[in-house]
This record gives sequence, structure tokens and C-alpha cells, in this order.
Amino acid sequence: MDGARALNGAIDPGRQTPGVPEEEQLRAEVYGVLARLLAAPPDAALLGALAGMSGDNSELGAAFRDLARAAATATAEMTAREYHDLFIGVGRGELLPYASYYLTGFLHERPLAELRGALAALGIARAADVKEPEDHLAALCEVMAGLITGAFGAPAPLERQHEFFDAFIASWAGRFFHDLEAAQSARLYAVVGRIGRLFLGVEHTAFEIA
Amino acid sequence: MTDRPHKNTAKRRDFLKLVGLGSVAGAAALAVGTPPTKAEAAKPEAAGYRETEHIRKYYETARS
Repeated sequence: MDGARALNGAIDPGRQTPGVPEEEQLRAEVYGVLARLLAAPPDAALLGALAGMSGDNSELGAAFRDLARAAATATAEMTAREYHDLFIGVGRGELLPYASYYLTGFLHERPLAELRGALAALGIARAADVKEPEDHLAALCEVMAGLITGAFGAPAPLERQHEFFDAFIASWAGRFFHDLEAAQSARLYAVVGRIGRLFLGVEHTAFEIA
Repeated sequence: MTDRPHKNTAKRRDFLKLVGLGSVAGAAALAVGTPPTKAEAAKPEAAGYRETEHIRKYYETARS
């Protein structure tokens, strides 16, 4: 799609946009980390950065501390194997983090079609070299980060973010993160599942009290 | 009322400040960008992580 921003992991959740309050910026950064970890296993540098995270006494803070601990004891090789077993496997992995799959039982279904319409309206398209359908949760988290920080134009108003969240994430991603937390192959990714689940709860509550 | 991109209320701000999002600040900078390409994965990494064909294949299949 000419002129469309591409979803390819290049959205910078850390970009500082004037007018975006710090607490909103941090939401984008959580989405960014989730997107990155769901798109591929962490390399050694990212594991190092994760290992350095600290956390407060909130549930999410404790979960981040657990992720830091898991990252500190993991190697890139181990997590690559874990990621492979969870998401790739032979033919398919343990889990399929796609909206269509969770909502209909099949890939490439109506949720994907609806998402493509929403992305087109935002001026976003899948990058040419990305083969996954756009309704992969990594891509959806990338979109949320971009809406918050203004990667696709001006930062999106909360109402618009809420619309996208409700339309494409809220109805299924909690179940996916729960499945990830419980997955047989999951170790570091079990904590990612917990963080995702808790963060979705934060998002839901925060949208309600906006 | 000024037209701010985020018309968030004090209630929302206070809630978000209390739920522990701050942990992520250190790691977010390295979460940018595409996962390692074949070319990047081929570079030798720090001690403790040896690049192997096995790993290259994981990265490759993760991207496909």
C-alpha cells in the first residue's frame, strides 16, 4: 500500500512525543516489549536489558521482577528453543496468537478482514517481508504502541485507542496470555503471559476511568 | 479546554502511576526494531551465547 506505514517491528515504543504524558508513554513501552517478545525470541542484548528491570510492589511490578529474574538466568539459545516450541513447532506451535484463531477457531477469518480495514484507515499495512497475518498479537501490540505515541500521525485520542483495543484485543488476548502462562513449554514466556494478562486488566480499567 | 492528545483525567493518571508500568522503562529501548536478521544473528555475540546454525534457523523460522 503506497505511503502506508509498515508493521514490521520498527515502531519505536520509546519515542517521546510532546503532549503524551509519561504514564501513557509507559503503556506504549509495555506494548512495545510485549510486541517484541511475541514477534521473536529475545537476543542476548534484550535479555540483558530485561534482566535489569526492577519493579514495585504492584502485581505488575512483581511480574516484571519475575521476568527480570527469568531473563537473568536464561540464554538466548534456551529462549529461542522455548519460543520455537511455543509458537513454531513442526507445522504449528503449541499456541497460535491470532485474533482470528481465538475468535473463530480458524486463521484468516473475519477478524483479520476487519482488522485490515481498520489498519487501512490508520494508514498502516503489513511490511512486504512479513508473512504473518496482521492479526498476530505482536502486530496488534505494535499498533497500540503506535497509536499512543503518534507513530501513525498525531497521537490517537484515548477514545480511538479504546476502540481499537475493544475491537481487536479485548475479546481474546486475555485468553491467549492465560494459555501462554499455562503452556507446557513456557518458562520465561510464562511470565510474559502473566504480564500480558495483568497489563490487559490495567488497560481495561484505565480505559473505563478515563 | 486545550486540545491535548490525551484528555486523561487525574483519576486515570493516578491509577496508571500506581500499577507498576515503570519497570519497563529500561528495557523498552531495546525492544525497538525488527527481530535479528540472518546477517545480525551471524555476528558473534557476548560470551555465553554462541551463534549456531540451530539458532539461525530459529530466527529464520520465527520471521517466516
